[in-house]
Amino acid sequence: MSSEIRHESAIKHVTGEARFVNDLEPRKDVLYGLVVYSSEAHARIKDININAANELAGVISIVDYKNIPGQNQMGPVIHDEPCLAEDRVEFIGQAVLLIAAIDRETAIKASKLIHIEYEPLPSITSLEEAISSDNMLCPPRKIETGDLESGFAESAHCIEGEVRTGAQEHWYLETQTALAIPEEGDEITIHASSQHPSETQAIVAGVLGINRNLVVVEVQRMGGAFGGKETQANHVAAWAALLARHTGKAVKIHLFRDDDQIMTGKRHRFISRYKIGFTCEGKVLAYEVELNADAGYSTDLSRAILDRALFHTDNAYYIPNMRAVGYLWKTNLPSNTAFRGFGGPQGMAVIENAMDSIARFLGKDASEIRYKNFYKQHSENITHFGQNVENNSLEILYNELLISSDYNSRRSAIKEFNSKNEFAKRGLAITPVKFGISFTTSFLNQAAALVNIYQDGTVLLNHGGTEMGQGLHTKIIGIASNALGVDAEFIKVSSTNTSKVPNTSATAASSGSDLNGMAVNDAIGKLKKRISTAIANHWNAADPQNITKPENIVYQNNNLTDILYPKRIISFKDAVKIAYLRQTSLSATGFYSTPGIQYDPQKGKGTPFYYFVFSMAVSEVEIDVLTGGLKLLRTDILHDGGISLNPEIDKGQIAGGFVMGLGWCTTEVVEWDNSGHLLQHSPDTYKIPTISDIPFDFRINFLSNRTNPKTISNSKAIGEPPFMLSLSVWMASKDALTCCRDTFVGNNFDIPLAFELIINKFTFFNRQPK
Amino acid sequence: MKTTRNCVEFILDGKILRLNFAEESAIKPTTTVLNYLRSIHGHKGVKEGCGEGDCGACTIVVAEEGIRGNLEYKALNSCLLFLPMLHGKQLITIENLAQKKGQEILLHPVQQAIVDEYGSQCGYCTPGMVLSMFSLYKNSPHAQEDSIKLALSGNLCRCTGYKSILNAAKIACSKGPEDHFTNGEDAVLELIHSIHKNTDPILLQTDDYQYYIPFTTEDLLHYKSGHPEALIIAGASDIALRQTKKNELLPNLIDISQLNDLKFIQEDHAGFYFGAGISIEELRDFSEDRYPALFNVLNVFGSHQIRHLATLGGNLATASPISDMIPILLVADASIRLISIHGQRELKLEEFIKGYRQTDLKADEIILMVRIPKNERITFINTYKVSRRKDVDISCVNGAFSVELSRNNRIDDIRIGFGGMAAQAKRAAITEAFLSGKQWERNVIEEAMQLLYTEFQPISDARAKAESRSILAGNLLMKFFLDVNYYTKTQADVI
Repeated sequence: MSSEIRHESAIKHVTGEARFVNDLEPRKDVLYGLVVYSSEAHARIKDININAANELAGVISIVDYKNIPGQNQMGPVIHDEPCLAEDRVEFIGQAVLLIAAIDRETAIKASKLIHIEYEPLPSITSLEEAISSDNMLCPPRKIETGDLESGFAESAHCIEGEVRTGAQEHWYLETQTALAIPEEGDEITIHASSQHPSETQAIVAGVLGINRNLVVVEVQRMGGAFGGKETQANHVAAWAALLARHTGKAVKIHLFRDDDQIMTGKRHRFISRYKIGFTCEGKVLAYEVELNADAGYSTDLSRAILDRALFHTDNAYYIPNMRAVGYLWKTNLPSNTAFRGFGGPQGMAVIENAMDSIARFLGKDASEIRYKNFYKQHSENITHFGQNVENNSLEILYNELLISSDYNSRRSAIKEFNSKNEFAKRGLAITPVKFGISFTTSFLNQAAALVNIYQDGTVLLNHGGTEMGQGLHTKIIGIASNALGVDAEFIKVSSTNTSKVPNTSATAASSGSDLNGMAVNDAIGKLKKRISTAIANHWNAADPQNITKPENIVYQNNNLTDILYPKRIISFKDAVKIAYLRQTSLSATGFYSTPGIQYDPQKGKGTPFYYFVFSMAVSEVEIDVLTGGLKLLRTDILHDGGISLNPEIDKGQIAGGFVMGLGWCTTEVVEWDNSGHLLQHSPDTYKIPTISDIPFDFRINFLSNRTNPKTISNSKAIGEPPFMLSLSVWMASKDALTCCRDTFVGNNFDIPLAFELIINKFTFFNRQPK
Repeated sequence: MKTTRNCVEFILDGKILRLNFAEESAIKPTTTVLNYLRSIHGHKGVKEGCGEGDCGACTIVVAEEGIRGNLEYKALNSCLLFLPMLHGKQLITIENLAQKKGQEILLHPVQQAIVDEYGSQCGYCTPGMVLSMFSLYKNSPHAQEDSIKLALSGNLCRCTGYKSILNAAKIACSKGPEDHFTNGEDAVLELIHSIHKNTDPILLQTDDYQYYIPFTTEDLLHYKSGHPEALIIAGASDIALRQTKKNELLPNLIDISQLNDLKFIQEDHAGFYFGAGISIEELRDFSEDRYPALFNVLNVFGSHQIRHLATLGGNLATASPISDMIPILLVADASIRLISIHGQRELKLEEFIKGYRQTDLKADEIILMVRIPKNERITFINTYKVSRRKDVDISCVNGAFSVELSRNNRIDDIRIGFGGMAAQAKRAAITEAFLSGKQWERNVIEEAMQLLYTEFQPISDARAKAESRSILAGNLLMKFFLDVNYYTKTQADVI
């Protein structure tokens, strides 16, 4: 079964054979590249002295912005990111100089000999300060529906509050890495760990001042990415390319973990304010929400991220009167970037907290309030941006999950537990996810593929998607195996290469298999037509009495068969050979673009998404109020994944996304001090979940009998939606804390719910001022 | 002075590998096993994830002879391990696990389980994960969920959410410990013995480095008295960070990891005697039954890999203000015995810790052992650790408490020790004095909590705010109060 193929690299992974960029050694004399970065959040560069470093044995070259032959620019959308700082630095971690040396030790020694003199300028390192000083990056974005004022007027009650959601470090296990190899003339090859090889190619070409047809970017696999290598992998690639151009030698840059954490952007932290109006029964009539995102020093993908946050301020709820406004604020910090969920989690957190607050206000179970406000099937199914919510499975998910998770009886058990324990409190919550699938920048929804069939009957698939662990290549092999009726062992996915499939979009927005799967399918369709014609001719020439029509040839069990003449059967391998001898092209390109999506950002209306993914989770936590310690007792996830292309791979995405979200909601704290230094810059202090942090009882199931008629094999995208299921843990924690003593948790609730927040807020003895 | 050698020997790929540091310019004595493996042919499976022993991507397995004469397989962080520390041991890398029979690859059971359970996604953490699981497979066959989590918590994975990895470990470990290594163990032990025949000290000398490995305490003390500036390392889990994180040179080291004289655990009617060279993991294993209060904190000390590297002596010598070890030893009234060429001396741990990472250790002295007296009068003793994450995290605050209660529930003696509250791990003298002689009652404890809130002036840092620490100190006392009451109640029920 093509849906049961194991990860195509699994054996290479477990044997250590799988090669990552840092494992590549194309030549003996690969130089080590090191980035010298700013130690100031905002300053004018007065002087740079590299004399001593230049004289150190083993240092090959030290370059600054003046050595850039092309444009000093690597901004992906808006050109506001210099490749190397010129006279000014705007955050701690900004690249100023590049060193190429014979090894890491020498490069580090050299960096210590470099003296950069700064004249500090006023800096903004907190989001609050950016807001209060009106340091806006670009004009605000707004999405509105209905009549907000009359919605509030009709509401029986109204709640206001604030939700702060923290930054998050991607913490891909493989830090940013690139290897640049100068070839003939101006040509250059980049081995990148990039989600977006075409953009890496464009930026390298821009920085080197050469045409894109001279740059080849190849991506074999990434050691995790999660959005962190969508744009910011371009940086190391551009730096390595620059050093390679300058030295004429191959140069590798592999950021040390601390440097990676200091230099690269993170999930945007938000300060969000909301006001929600509702009836006595808890039906929401009006919702006003303001999102303030910390963009960092430049634009990067922040506009699209803010858009997605605004699109998801409703999460799974129909709200007739609504206004969502988003602001991007500029700070002297690394430019924040794509991260699984892409703003969605920040937008959803606010409405989930609001739903919970309504329930507490009305003295009802939060599950009831959520259910009451879900999008419905035939009415109450238009989002605030005007898109119809189709194939909505919220109600089925809710009803099935409530039963399978034993929600109601556990609710009673928890009440009893809490009444008996003073300092241990349990909480329970069910939270939904409705996540829109497609790039919200509509033209990006395109993909291409190149499929080669060789004379021995083996197949090589090339497509624009990149493999970062998500199992995209495995799914693509499954799609091809189904389409060609050929076993997976004869099919291979090539590393992603810009010289084979050009002008690709990033592997992002959970769209990898939707887009590339369709493109591969398109190419295979063309090849099958050609091969079928050749084989029909072959058969018909031998036996002109019975005519095989090409369209009657089916591909299954490694054979081609004429459905009308089942005795006319030939192995795929032999068929390919015959097709070749009959002078048939066995290589085809495929293309796909998502139909029917458009969005007008000025009006805030349109159909930005091809479809929605629905999912739901129930989590139960126990909090030690004295230490802030949180135990995740059980999580039940029920997911509508259409017809999964590979259920085990999808379950892995669900578990992985959920646990990554769990980290964001609990232990992952990112703070900068007033001077812009990142406090948690290594795993010593930055704490992603370990195996001990996952739910003690962790159940993941798919909703059965669901399909998605619009996509490849009726599947659904999987990468991002599960991340937001972790909000169930956050809401269960709020539920638990509400049971603590007489403390009112309130309508403000923040992410992460770090232990400090708990002990500071819920400490039970009266603190005497010191 | 005995003759010395300038090379180390260890087993890799079934053969003894002899490294002469004077002849090979590509390596130096402080080259890490990670960097060494990545520089030679056929061992690039090992990965660097953080360079500080926190992520486990660089995990390798070192097999050495255990006390029962068998091979013990320890998963270690190769990013913190200096090459000479492999002397007389077998290094097992990810490339050694699968067997090749012609074209066919026979995966090790732990590898096969990970493949079958979809336990790899991006694959970058996988080699390290496989090796941690392999060490568990060899040492603790039939491990249950708790032990699996404990063994794997030092291996971070950002992709899978661990569910598939946990499943794979359960399946694989139900099969251990037999595998293709089993048959070769006698041969490996023979090689190990042949290396260990020579017990002359090793002195690795290059232009910039001196790295000394003694095999007896006597050799160590002589060398130390002649080289008082030399740094002593055992597991180097702290000192190595100066090189990997701060890029410092470590030109003069004494590696005492081969010193079996310092690796003892003894107990008699009067107390416990722990050699300075025992690893935290060995101490954890011992204390599980014999000293639960110590066990409770050692169980959340570093990762499996770090606990195997780190030693008791090393932990005390660093005198960290957030030490997990010192508070319980302070409360247990432990003494420390030091030894130099001039003789031995014993002092209370409280006198030994002098300040922020400062001890009373003289330049020619080393730590010999720690002694914990047995005190029958103690009603209850326990430890608590608060950290942002449960496993593999440094304390924000940790507390150790012991109390002696008289029959009428009066506090005869109470001892409270904290890490993370001051520049050094410290006892709460004011609160102890306040509680002494008072009744063991809730309102008294609540008053003491307020006192603890003001007794210390902790700092704010990346791990916690000062305010949180001050609150936590009191909260931990409350936890202890509840535990004591629970314990005395259940004891009474038993009687």
